[in-house]
Amino acid sequence: MKAAKIFLNGLLNENPLLVLMIGLCSSLAVTTSVANGLGMGLSMTFVLVMSELVIALFRRLIPPSVRIPIFIIVIAAFTTIIDYLLQAYQPALSKSMGVFIPLIVVNCIIMGRVEAFASKQSPLLAAADALGMGLGYTWVLCGIAAVREILGAGSLCGFSILPDSFEPILFFILPPGGFLVFALFISLGMWVRTMSPLRSDARGSFAHKGDPEVRGANYVKSEDDKRSDEK
Amino acid sequence: MNLFGIFVKAFLIDNIVLMSFLALCPFIGMSQDEDKAVGMGVAVIFVTVLATCATWPIYTYILAPLGLVFLKTLAFILIVASLVQLVEFYLKKAMPSLYKSMGIYLALITTNCAILAVTFNVISRGYTFIESLVYALGVAAGFLLALLLLAGLRKRLRTSPVPSFLKGTPILFVTAALLSMSFMGFAGLVK
Amino acid sequence: MKDIMKMTAALIIFSTVACVALAFVYEGTAKTIAVRQKADMEAALKGVFPDADSFTDITEKITSGDKRVTFDGKEAAFAAQAGGKTIGVAVKAATPGFNDAITALVGVGANGKIAGVKILSNTDTPGLGANAGLDKYYVNKAKGTTFYGQFTGMSANGNIMVQKDGGDVVAITAATITSRAVSLLVKTAAEAALTWLKAEGSHK
Repeated sequence: MKAAKIFLNGLLNENPLLVLMIGLCSSLAVTTSVANGLGMGLSMTFVLVMSELVIALFRRLIPPSVRIPIFIIVIAAFTTIIDYLLQAYQPALSKSMGVFIPLIVVNCIIMGRVEAFASKQSPLLAAADALGMGLGYTWVLCGIAAVREILGAGSLCGFSILPDSFEPILFFILPPGGFLVFALFISLGMWVRTMSPLRSDARGSFAHKGDPEVRGANYVKSEDDKRSDEK
Repeated sequence: MNLFGIFVKAFLIDNIVLMSFLALCPFIGMSQDEDKAVGMGVAVIFVTVLATCATWPIYTYILAPLGLVFLKTLAFILIVASLVQLVEFYLKKAMPSLYKSMGIYLALITTNCAILAVTFNVISRGYTFIESLVYALGVAAGFLLALLLLAGLRKRLRTSPVPSFLKGTPILFVTAALLSMSFMGFAGLVK
Repeated sequence: MKDIMKMTAALIIFSTVACVALAFVYEGTAKTIAVRQKADMEAALKGVFPDADSFTDITEKITSGDKRVTFDGKEAAFAAQAGGKTIGVAVKAATPGFNDAITALVGVGANGKIAGVKILSNTDTPGLGANAGLDKYYVNKAKGTTFYGQFTGMSANGNIMVQKDGGDVVAITAATITSRAVSLLVKTAAEAALTWLKAEGSHK
């Protein structure tokens, strides 16, 4: 089914963080613990799904020349909604994620998908795409957070899972550790993709068309479309 | 906290890219060479300071007194987006070569998390207008610094033996990790 | 002309719907947030003065003796009462920590000793400065004293500084800045609380 394929696409093939390399902004900062990573991932997924749904539903009523401001209005509205919902019902999480929740509004993934996909597809497919991308984002975030939290604090979701004798390697909780773990995850993602049968153009080398050295950051793909639309 | 302290904290100690993980997209995307880095960095300084000039008064004198605090996110992002549009028009007319070389990345300044983060932070930290401007300047200058550093390092990386599993983006992040570590040394610089 | 009308109409409709929706959500959650904030504050106050049965806001202005420590404008201090008598004062103060501001509640009992310290907000580095308010981080493992717990029992106008600076406060390993900040906060808040208690006592 087309929707299922689109959903899986976001999870793996075109995983926003590992493959498309977009939405990095608020990501690394919230991976200091799995609870934060999960909270951020699900919040972002909420904003993405709702935004893609609304925009796909009304796509024929949005004049192309003002579509960017309208996208911004919709995304900002849902970001504010999740911000206040979290403040009311998950205050501890809201406090620990701080300014990164309202920053969901500038998460490149959301604007990118809304522009490239939701404005041109039916609500069902848009929702599938949003769910796939959102959950793809979430699982990578949780993965990075798990490594950082286990190695850096000896715990998972706040529960100590390593024996007391384990001296946590603080490095992983600090910013450099975040960058390093992310680098390894990208590398892992690249390797998995060269092995994966899903990718028909898997090449032997690890350099992938996704990385900036090889082809200039392709996360601007959607902006390219925008430019060519305006011509 | 005095103005110098605010600036140094924003510029070095809490460097927006290397310590707060913000503005990573342009950090990776615009650091291929020093010219692009400078162009992007200067544009960001300009937009950030302008954005703070616009958003701080709007929040303090309009949104807060009217109890419309919940419109903060919406209002701020729209202001930033409009400012970027204005900068785009201006550059197109006044400095077409720079406009062309920046290409798509200029429009992407809108989604630069750092700028929005600055506008939010000055509100949540209760800075006065002058303190907000100094903070904005510090953060944006820090962004330029990080960008320049990475651009210089990437030049070296192109001719270095990088292990195959790190080729491409991963090595950039490892480099960022090392830069971040060195910036941690600035902690405690300002009391 | 028709295009401009369409554009403007679309923008106005979307903006209005968005603003209305946000206003709804804001109103809906505002009450929950306010109730919870009040409950959190009461829990914190109870944590500092477990024997108190009621708390009253102190309306007089409480001034901080140190520029670096600020007292909350509206909720600066609370008097704790038990059985009609004031048993202590809790002062809510903030000071810049390593990362952002650290907010804490400092309670001083009628006996001039610190009744307790509760860290309300602390965004310092996990594993380092963040340990200031943690229940599981001990400065004295044998006695089970947490970092914030060690202030209980200290004299309110005593030498509340980290050992490095000549005081008695045991700092968090590798988190000197946070430790110093909290010590300064506690010292300043305790002194202000003591001043209020003495003034209150002399009125009786």
